[in-house]
Amino acid sequence: MATDTAVEPKIRIDSVHKSYFIDGTHQEVLGGIDLVVNAGEFVSIVGPSGCGKSTLLNIIAGLDQPDSGSVELASERPGELLKTAGERLGQTGYMQQKDLLLPWRTVLDNTTLGLELKGLSKKQAQEQALEYTEAFGLKGFEHQYPFALSGGMRQRAAFLRTMLMDQDVVLLDEPFGALDALTRIQMQEWLLQLWESLNKTIVLITHDVDEALLLSDRVYLMSARPGRATLVLDVDLPRPRHYDMVTMPDFSVLKAQLMEPLRAQSQTFKFQPIKSFEQAGS
Amino acid sequence: MSVSRTLSGLLTWLIPFGILVTLVVAWELWVQLSDVPKWQLPAPSAIAKELVSSSSLLWEHTLVTLQEIVFGFLAALIAGLVLAGGIAYSRVLERSVYPIVIASQTVPIIAIAPLLLIWVGYGLTPKIIIVALICFYPIAVNTVDGLKATDPDMVNMLRTLGASRWQIFTKLQIPTALPFMFSGIKIGVSVSVIAAVIGEWVGSSEGLGYLITYSQPLFLTARVFAAIVVLSVMGIGLFVLAVVAERMMMPWHFNEKRSNSMRQL
Repeated sequence: MATDTAVEPKIRIDSVHKSYFIDGTHQEVLGGIDLVVNAGEFVSIVGPSGCGKSTLLNIIAGLDQPDSGSVELASERPGELLKTAGERLGQTGYMQQKDLLLPWRTVLDNTTLGLELKGLSKKQAQEQALEYTEAFGLKGFEHQYPFALSGGMRQRAAFLRTMLMDQDVVLLDEPFGALDALTRIQMQEWLLQLWESLNKTIVLITHDVDEALLLSDRVYLMSARPGRATLVLDVDLPRPRHYDMVTMPDFSVLKAQLMEPLRAQSQTFKFQPIKSFEQAGS
Repeated sequence: MSVSRTLSGLLTWLIPFGILVTLVVAWELWVQLSDVPKWQLPAPSAIAKELVSSSSLLWEHTLVTLQEIVFGFLAALIAGLVLAGGIAYSRVLERSVYPIVIASQTVPIIAIAPLLLIWVGYGLTPKIIIVALICFYPIAVNTVDGLKATDPDMVNMLRTLGASRWQIFTKLQIPTALPFMFSGIKIGVSVSVIAAVIGEWVGSSEGLGYLITYSQPLFLTARVFAAIVVLSVMGIGLFVLAVVAERMMMPWHFNEKRSNSMRQL
């Protein structure tokens, strides 16, 4: 990935603010966040729930507009920057928390959806998708409807749909959040291998610190609402990585650096000891 | 699974069938054992005899009523789907036309029937119009609801894949609307038979509704019952057709429901 020219930022976000009108009050979701993702990097964003992580991805993907601040996405054409939401829409691969498979399409037809929208014929699109069904663990299930699949398979089908669009930038919003612990580990290892072979720029949102450290080159820690980047941590673990690394000393050091501020943030909410039981007993 | 499932499947059919047979037998015995006059309540056997002996007469009138229903229903289906599509696609149409469609339902359509006789005369046309007017509403309203029932996350997913407004409509909104549309169609089919009979009562010289109004003053009660039997068989047949079409067009819908109910077991 090393090139002789300086590494170009693929995504550059400068003091982006975003508020929503929720239950009659103005709530600031993003409070001036800065973020830079270079080409070919794997960057994770970790933060407490409700800190505006998904809003940030929506803004990068062009589904939402920032109130202020600037967002720049480098186009596939060198030198061109996509600065408005309209320009960015459809220029990133975006995989949301839910798999969002269309129940009336078979697995194969779900994965080819983006290609069909681009105007490819069904046959061409299917030929492309079939090249990858084995690597995505979907072989033999191409003609099943999504309801017949396990959670992990559904997620991989949604992932293949995203990857077939062949965008440079891929945004992943807690893609493994809904999976059980073992399946999640399998999926993380699988994603590691895939990313190392694909040369994509990936932004991953997660609340799983292990996942963030294992996969990323850099981790951004976000504060509670209004969300800002409070810590940027470079993960200098060697690649290729594998799941065993989570028990290594280097990994633990990094994890401690991340956990401490994360716990400090969540201490704004204090657990009160429950006294009523004792009173009821006496 | 197959043995117990076929058995329970058989049972679900056998039970209502058994109830029906019991009722008919009870009716037959009641008429045979008491001295209810034939013109007041004919026995099921008498109605069956009438169905056979008047079969050509019944068939002739059945064809007329069936034509009214089929043409009226198809007109309602086309108009209902086109209008529902327009309302779901265009804000302007939604604001301007949809309230009128809903308000139109407060007009008793039976009351319009005599007017239709004045405007388009006797014959098939006024009945087709009445059937269409009555079937139109459930089809249109259900389809509009279905077209608007899309998951906003799905819409966003399609937008990030670069989908245009029209592609979102065809690839997401229409398939989402199908189960709703078929609910409308099933309601429409069920009321279409009533609509055709009402149309014929208001003024006609053929059709099963006409046959009923013609036979009643002559106290041909068995014939009235025979016509009613044919009408309900027709209604059931049309409903079954709608269900078959529904299953053919949405195989995923029924497999999904079945697998969900299996999971719950």
